[in-house]
Amino acid sequence: MSTQIDTAIKRGRGYWFVDGFIEMFAGGLLILLGGILLLRGLAPQDSFLAQFISVAVEIAMVKVVGIFMAILVLWWLKDRFTYPRTGFIRGKRMSIVQILAFFRNGFLVLALPALGLIAAIFLLRPLQDALFSMPIWFPVGLGVICAVICVLSGEWLGLPRFRLMGALIGLTGIAAGAWQFVIGWANISVETAIYRTFASVGLLILVSGVGFLLSGVTTFLRYRKENPVPYQDEL
Amino acid sequence: MTEPLSNLNDLDRVIHEPSRLLLVALLSSVESADFLFLLKESRLTKGNLTVHLSRLEEAGYIQIEKSFRGKFPHTEYNITPQGLSAFEQYRKNLGTIFDIKKDSA
Repeated sequence: MSTQIDTAIKRGRGYWFVDGFIEMFAGGLLILLGGILLLRGLAPQDSFLAQFISVAVEIAMVKVVGIFMAILVLWWLKDRFTYPRTGFIRGKRMSIVQILAFFRNGFLVLALPALGLIAAIFLLRPLQDALFSMPIWFPVGLGVICAVICVLSGEWLGLPRFRLMGALIGLTGIAAGAWQFVIGWANISVETAIYRTFASVGLLILVSGVGFLLSGVTTFLRYRKENPVPYQDEL
Repeated sequence: MTEPLSNLNDLDRVIHEPSRLLLVALLSSVESADFLFLLKESRLTKGNLTVHLSRLEEAGYIQIEKSFRGKFPHTEYNITPQGLSAFEQYRKNLGTIFDIKKDSA
């Protein structure tokens, strides 16, 4: 019974993701950002293309601000599509104390070990080595941290598919690091190290975006199959 | 009365009914929910759902807010602090009862 009650509690928490719209939007945005980063990392340095993409990154940042607009579109979509089919809920409001506790726990669980790991890398190795090997350890660390966040969020929201997403993100981070390791990092310049970090992180974000997009589309198709038409009162 | 039996009697009978327990659990994680959401999630009939929601409202565990969305009437339900407290107490009591049963088995 306790499990069923917990499931009922999580249904409310995860309802925002029930139709897959958020994952589709997030996936699209990640593909855009990841693609730009990957191209910037792979493009010949100081070329016209690199400059162009550099500007494109700034434009993308402006687009991130456009998340606000995406929220409005999501609200409109949900109002027209989701709420008439499976109902409307208002999310729980968090108090200031709860928000502070959330950030404190997040810091203790995720940021502290990550900072410790980064500090250890810098302390145990010569600074230059740590910098030049950044294309290897940065995507691995970022991938693992994002994977943990994804899995923990999935558990809290009652969304098992987030476990799969977490596994995908973690493995992609490791694969991106392995890709850079195979290429080798001896005798490279700082600029090259930074560009290659862009490329490996770009790959991680791009693949994560594709994963979220596919997850969103699958969820949307299943939701639409289960709820083909808006709810109507029985006559 | 022995301790385990007294704990059994402490169970809140309003929440103890499975459908109402489900409704309170659903409402406990949201600020408010509309009738359609509760209908779809609980899989109750409209009549049954109305009766159970009325019972919870009588007990002071939920509040009903009626409004309009465009031209259509819209009803939202939210759990009261009293309802949330009763739900948490119910879970605690239920846990205690099963712990006692496990110890005595």
